[in-house]
Amino acid sequence: VSLRLAPRRGAVAAVALLAAAIGVVAWLNLGRDADPPPTADPEDGRVVGGRYVSRYFDLVYPLPPGFVEGLAGPAPSETGSYVLANFVPAGELDATILVAALDRFFAPAWFDGAEAMAADFARGLAGIEGMTVDRAPDAMMTGGRRFVRVDFSGVGLYRAMLATDIRCHVVSFTVTARTPERRADLLDSVGHLSSSGVTGPACLKDHAGNDNLLHRVAPAVVGPQFVPIPVRMIVAVDGSVRHAHVIRATAEQRRSVAEAVRQWRFKPHLIDGRAVEVETGVVFRFGPSAPGS
Amino acid sequence: MTRIPLARLSLLASTASIAIPLAMTAPALGQTAAAPQAHAPTVQDPGVRGGARGAGGPLPGLNTEETAFFKATKEIFEEVNTVPDGLGPRFNLDGCAGCHVQPAVGGTSPAVNPQVAVATRLGANNVVPPFVTVDGPVREARFVKKPDGTPDGGVHGLFVISGRSDAPSACRIVQDNFAAAVAANNVIFRIPTPLFGLGLVETVRDSALRASLSAGAGRKSSLGISGRFNVNENDGTITRFGWKAQNKSLLIFSAEAYNVEQGVTNEGFPTEREEDPKCAVTATPEDPTRLVEEEDLGSPAANFSADIVSFAGFMRFLAPPTPATSPATAASAAEVMNASLTAAPPSSSSPARGKMVFDNIGCDACHTPSLKTGKSTFNSLSNKTFSPLSDFALHDMGVGLEDRVSQGGASGREFRTAPLWGLGQRIFFLHDGRTTDLLVAIRQHSSTGSEAKQVIDNFEMLGNGDKQALLNYLRSL
Repeated sequence: VSLRLAPRRGAVAAVALLAAAIGVVAWLNLGRDADPPPTADPEDGRVVGGRYVSRYFDLVYPLPPGFVEGLAGPAPSETGSYVLANFVPAGELDATILVAALDRFFAPAWFDGAEAMAADFARGLAGIEGMTVDRAPDAMMTGGRRFVRVDFSGVGLYRAMLATDIRCHVVSFTVTARTPERRADLLDSVGHLSSSGVTGPACLKDHAGNDNLLHRVAPAVVGPQFVPIPVRMIVAVDGSVRHAHVIRATAEQRRSVAEAVRQWRFKPHLIDGRAVEVETGVVFRFGPSAPGS
Repeated sequence: MTRIPLARLSLLASTASIAIPLAMTAPALGQTAAAPQAHAPTVQDPGVRGGARGAGGPLPGLNTEETAFFKATKEIFEEVNTVPDGLGPRFNLDGCAGCHVQPAVGGTSPAVNPQVAVATRLGANNVVPPFVTVDGPVREARFVKKPDGTPDGGVHGLFVISGRSDAPSACRIVQDNFAAAVAANNVIFRIPTPLFGLGLVETVRDSALRASLSAGAGRKSSLGISGRFNVNENDGTITRFGWKAQNKSLLIFSAEAYNVEQGVTNEGFPTEREEDPKCAVTATPEDPTRLVEEEDLGSPAANFSADIVSFAGFMRFLAPPTPATSPATAASAAEVMNASLTAAPPSSSSPARGKMVFDNIGCDACHTPSLKTGKSTFNSLSNKTFSPLSDFALHDMGVGLEDRVSQGGASGREFRTAPLWGLGQRIFFLHDGRTTDLLVAIRQHSSTGSEAKQVIDNFEMLGNGDKQALLNYLRSL
């Protein structure tokens, strides 16, 4: 791009790009020289210098040229469904990109990863009159990751979903465009994804549901009853709970659950004889005869 | 209580305007709304559809006793209450069928708002609040906060009985200051929900609703949609009636509305909300089960039932609305619009095409096309597949529709997916009736935080022919 700019504009653009890059690096290294950065959660991703950066999912996605952040999405759901970000053109709305995540710990039982989701997704599309599956679910490598891709179209909209597994979530990029060419361009943009390659904690769905849990403190029962409260926690190598993410709850329930869970103690989890961090999930549901009561 | 059929209301009313909604037929409304505007935008709500109402009758297959009960309870539903019957001390209207009447008894807000007339009925001197107009929707008002700043959220009756010829002469209570509440941005509104087909809704098992919401999780995720159910705090089951799915059953729905909207105490809500001893002079509950048969309504059950049981029974046996079956009817207004479209031939804007658009862009992810009832005591409700176009779940609708009132587990931004059946004949849209324009209502689904944002983006990316087709389809319902 800079080749097409006049020298002065090119210099300005270069400075801007440099500043943006510094911004991303600074954001990724937030507080490294002082306190350690707060543990990231899925919804903490931000657009910094034209890139969507998610420390939790270890993703950096450069927005396609001309795209900006759209309206913020809803809060995470009871079933661990996230709208991480969405991007729209700065001008006429002729395409969108929605980045979403589904937490496999809290999604329906059948939901077992990106491949299963894509297969179910395609089956659902096949039942919609006027919808064509242009490309059946197909594994592919892009942006250094393995994705399952489904292309589909109908009523003049050309769409594709790319889904990948990260930390027991299915993270998806859904592209919608008015033309197949525009769809293809935007799909290419996903190929510019990058990551640091840092491995996150081992994710184990039922880690708190068996004899791994040595000490359990029940949360104080507050707020609405019978409402599921999903919680992700990171268990440190010594078995303590290093981080608790109460995904959806009222403020008072959030405090109560987080305070209790941080007192839990697990057996250290060993892989090849070495203790490793574990990420797991539990669901609380306050009620007279409900689990977690 | 004195049972006064709505048809005889003019004997009591100082004006007969409440009868207008009943006389104003859907075709008349449709013709008016469908008239092309000068410089009309390319895509336009075709307006309230004409043709047969297709609503207001009983479920097919009711037996003799059930049919008699339906007829009797419909009469009770249409009655108008007076103060000796239990009306007030504060109220929003004096009869169920005043609010629930478009396009037939059991429906929703009529074209002419009966609240304007009731304000001064029988000598009352109520001031009509600024948000109630003769051509606007029937509205109830909820205050967001109490004077001390704590959450309120309750319904504040618009009118008082003071000054009415049937009220105690010593009663001097005054209306809340709604103009001040408006000025302080402390009041929100709700319009009546249609009641057609609610027996079917009541009979769907929780497990079926949960399975429906869980289905297609991947597709819903790709659209940014999740949703959850409002649940009863006592037993944990799904609640499903009302704008925020805050009511568990048709009986509770009836009992609450009777007390909150009309001020009639009953066996579900036996306490007066306004206990001024000079005004609340009738014994409670004002609507008891009748131990002695007072009149023969043609149904032994109805003869003895409390009104709230009759209301619930009426709703339970009230058939769902029938969509327009004739393209000429469904798209009579739409075809006028199609003539102005140059981007697509008229046939591409048909309701059938609109249904395809509806499903393709993702409306169906929340406005679920099909549900099935469980086994019911009543055969007409048992194991029936029906199409409410709702999942009866709560969804975050964003800051644009937020009303800052929590009910049960529903937050200020969460609303139950509004069932779309019968939408073709509705005049006012969204929870507060803020618009009569279906296109505006669709676009209001998109704002910061809304689960519907991507679906509305999909809508905005459609060609004009398909946008029009969607509107035409919705108006065919």
